[in-house]
Amino acid sequence: MSATLDVPVIQAPHEVDRPGSRQQKEVTRLLPTWLLGVVIAALCAFVLLPLLYIFLASVNSDLSVARGDFWPEAFTFENYSKIWTSVGLANGLANSVVVAGSTAVVSAALAVATAYVLVRYEFRGRLTMLRGLLALQSIPGTLLLLPVFVLYSSAATYLKIQIIGTHWGLFLTYLTFALPFSTWVMVTYLRGLPKELEEAARIDGASNLGILTRIILPLSWPGIIVSGIFAFLLGWNDVLFASIMTRPESQTAAVALQIFATSTEGGAVPYYGQMMASALVCAAPVVILYLFFQKYLVGGLTAGGVK
Amino acid sequence: MRMRTPAALAAITAAAALALTACSGGSPEGGSTGGAVDGTGKTLNVLVNVNTLYPEQQKQWFTDMQAKFKEKTGAELKYETFTSANEELQRIQTSVVSGQGPDVYSLGTTFTPTAVATGAFVQLGDEEWKKVGGKDRFNPATLGISGPSEDRLYGVPYVSRPFVMAYNKDILAAAGIDKPATTWDGLLEQAKKTTDASKGQYGLAVAYKDNFDPWKFVWAMSVQAGNGIVDDGKAKIDDPAMKKAYETYFGWLTQDKVVNPASVGWSNSQALAEFAAGKAAFFPMTTSNSIPTLDKSPLAGKYEYAIMPVAAPGDSSPKSGAKPAASILSGDNIVVADYSPNKDLAFAYIEMVTSKDVQLNYQKTFGDLPANAEGLAALESAPHMGAITEAAEKSYATPFTGAWGDIQLGLLNVTVQSVPELAAGNVPDATLSQRLKDAQDKAQSSLDRAGTS
Amino acid sequence: MRTEPATRPRPAAPAAGRGPAPEAAPRRGLTRRNRPLWMLIPGGVLMLIVIVGPMILGIYMSMLDLDQYTLRRWVSSPFIGLGNYIESVVSSGLLRSVWLSVSYSLIAMLITLPLGVGAAVATQNAFRGRGIVRSVFLIPYVLPTFVVATVWRTMFQPEGVVDRTFNGLGMDPGLWLNGPNTYWTIIFVQIWASWPFIYLLALAGLQAVDHEVHEASALDGALWWKKLRYVVFPYLKGPLSLAFLIGMLHHINNFTLPFVLFGIPAPHDIEVLPMLTYVTSFQSFRFGLSAAMAVVSLILIAIPLFIYLRAVKLDDGESGGTK
Repeated sequence: MSATLDVPVIQAPHEVDRPGSRQQKEVTRLLPTWLLGVVIAALCAFVLLPLLYIFLASVNSDLSVARGDFWPEAFTFENYSKIWTSVGLANGLANSVVVAGSTAVVSAALAVATAYVLVRYEFRGRLTMLRGLLALQSIPGTLLLLPVFVLYSSAATYLKIQIIGTHWGLFLTYLTFALPFSTWVMVTYLRGLPKELEEAARIDGASNLGILTRIILPLSWPGIIVSGIFAFLLGWNDVLFASIMTRPESQTAAVALQIFATSTEGGAVPYYGQMMASALVCAAPVVILYLFFQKYLVGGLTAGGVK
Repeated sequence: MRMRTPAALAAITAAAALALTACSGGSPEGGSTGGAVDGTGKTLNVLVNVNTLYPEQQKQWFTDMQAKFKEKTGAELKYETFTSANEELQRIQTSVVSGQGPDVYSLGTTFTPTAVATGAFVQLGDEEWKKVGGKDRFNPATLGISGPSEDRLYGVPYVSRPFVMAYNKDILAAAGIDKPATTWDGLLEQAKKTTDASKGQYGLAVAYKDNFDPWKFVWAMSVQAGNGIVDDGKAKIDDPAMKKAYETYFGWLTQDKVVNPASVGWSNSQALAEFAAGKAAFFPMTTSNSIPTLDKSPLAGKYEYAIMPVAAPGDSSPKSGAKPAASILSGDNIVVADYSPNKDLAFAYIEMVTSKDVQLNYQKTFGDLPANAEGLAALESAPHMGAITEAAEKSYATPFTGAWGDIQLGLLNVTVQSVPELAAGNVPDATLSQRLKDAQDKAQSSLDRAGTS
Repeated sequence: MRTEPATRPRPAAPAAGRGPAPEAAPRRGLTRRNRPLWMLIPGGVLMLIVIVGPMILGIYMSMLDLDQYTLRRWVSSPFIGLGNYIESVVSSGLLRSVWLSVSYSLIAMLITLPLGVGAAVATQNAFRGRGIVRSVFLIPYVLPTFVVATVWRTMFQPEGVVDRTFNGLGMDPGLWLNGPNTYWTIIFVQIWASWPFIYLLALAGLQAVDHEVHEASALDGALWWKKLRYVVFPYLKGPLSLAFLIGMLHHINNFTLPFVLFGIPAPHDIEVLPMLTYVTSFQSFRFGLSAAMAVVSLILIAIPLFIYLRAVKLDDGESGGTK
């Protein structure tokens, strides 16, 4: 199987029969209607019930959550105002946005450049690098945690560059961890781009960089967005590295929530309501981001299909 | 290893302090002895455990201390907080490996040995003690877990949080019990008398799934039976006294049925909630940190504290030759990192926060007992403090070895792994023996490493 | 395995609507002229410094007797060669953890596959509200793992909402966060969180099914399930086997989920690899031993990965794989 399989998500649109005609729908239909309804209903319930529960618990009292009530005994939105001080969520969210956002942008940019070379040029070690992109993803984070920390702290000791505790530490880490996958995504994507335009540009005397920025970039937005989003998710979701590389002022939302969850379980009755409220608030940005770019994520692969 | 989050930490240290206040006499309250430290332009970084019960008050307290410290030394004071034992461990490990990090650490007492084993903290000599206001400023009992021996001390006692047992006065009165038992067997009898499962009322509220409680129970019972768990570099977990301790602790649930069957999945906070709801007669293994919760509950005014039993299971009185331990020596120590470029500032900070007034103020705000001997003496008549100060007197230190973290984890693990059998109502003898043996092996290998290093 | 045509991006290809045109020769146009290899430098250097470097350091640490007593001067801690490796295999429960990790990942994967494919098949054709359904399906995938774990931990609490539901049905399933059930708890949560990934890839695979194929099977009057089995599934083989591999890697290396769900010490039944290595290093301070465990597990993961990579012709995106 070819690498392209990897991230079908981002396929560039390919023209198929224009969908929409009733006949076309009938022909491509795979399941009888009744089964289709059952499958969709069951899966929606599977996904939505827990999500509904998070919301209900976030407006419920802690005791009621502890008792296992699904429906709140009384609705209150005060948890949503409390979390900004108790969890320190604003600071966490701001840090997460900065770190994950810059990770996404930079890793997508580096990934395009790297993938471009990997896809379009032949050189020694090219295959190894392609394989490496997959292999690097299999290294367990727990193995790298301490060495990465040692690396950064030596930078402070020997180079007088303070990395730990700043946004840079996380940025560098996430950027690098995101790169193999982001590059992989772009390799898959760029392979599908026609070479004709590049060749034409080259004949016109465009430089490599010029081709990359003026030909490749505009054509690869769906791929770039997908790889950026994956990098963003990586930065947004990490707890392991963030927990040792941040200080209170640089803490990410993930760490803030994790800390709050741990500490509240040591208290009297855990603040379930605030926990669920912060969970929702932490999840909101990525869900919104995803909904916003969904067209690219899913659209890339459904481009030829029925809209 | 730290105690449960912020709360428990503070409680324990306090305990031990009290015992010896009486004999320690007045400590020379010298304040900063002589030459004040000039820290203008410098910043001291202090790592403390976050206080989840009083987050607002803690922030205020930080602000107050920062102002006070600035006035005293001219230096900035910067607080960082950690929330869990894991987080604290990671911070210490990464600081140790990189030689940079906070200047001053607040450590749970049981975690002190592990930290000291890294060799990254300053040993306190006469000079250092003088800088923090003199060794006799502190309740001598609290020094029990400051270092491996009396002449090798690393941790300055900060606060104490002895473990006690809360009881519901109404339930006891209804059952005709005039005061809580002082032996585990007696407590079991009283628990049986006060259990009425049909009403959902149980004799004991116990948190079997807590991350700290289980090992504290078996530690106390084992120590009371004369087994201190570590004896001259040898682990004694597969010893009959230890097995008996686990059997007793598990038996409340499986044999005697004096605890709520659901407690097999409880953390300490859930056991506290059960007790606060008036559904349990006794709540062993709590600290003064439960006062605010209980005072806000329907139980306000109807509860009191007593020390936990001091006679091992099967004994009718404390065994002679064994330690009548009512609690582990629990609370916080302060240590200074040896890589710190601001050691004098660090000691000046410690001097400040262990002075009588600050400590009393701290107690008033957070409930943790002072390690400062005079401060402690001033508290004995405060509400609920009788049993708590008594428990402080009867607190004993856990073994001071770098292997303690592993041993504690092993003791806890025996319970964690037994939870399914507990839930099913029977922990088979062979299974328990096997788990004790596993814990023993791991503890021994960890002790061997401590011995060779 | 074969790339299904689907996955072959044929972007602006003017091959309007036909299935993918016959593949061009592999490496067509790969040029050696005027190579901007410098563009590899930023990404390459970063990966070398932040991943490969620390990994080598980690491997070195795995040969040191590194614990709380030596951590401070870790560079000079005793070199003990393969000592940690021997200990990890002989007496540390590593092999059991490997088994737990692999088996739980596999079970979760085997259940997510039909879920994802089913969902993809079900949303293949337009219907009112399909856009919303598709959005809903992908939400668990974008939710942060720590959020997923925190939420399920709350729900699986004793007497929590899950228990209440079972009790309402007259069942007492026992504890979810302790004991033997934990194995199934983590499988369940893993499935909930990761099936959309399969769904995405399956959806992409379906898009690739040539329209002619649909037409042909419609003409044949094939029954729906026969059509699925013999016509559509072959197209999914490629993307799904890749999804299988990546999914397994993610499951096996997933630390956050078991850590937040169960805490430390983990119940024996769910002492998976990342938990074991984490506890060994950050709880017991046996950094050397833990690094050795991680390396052993890396090797175990690398074997199937290596076989896979050998089987896949990575460089010929143009020619598709083997069917």
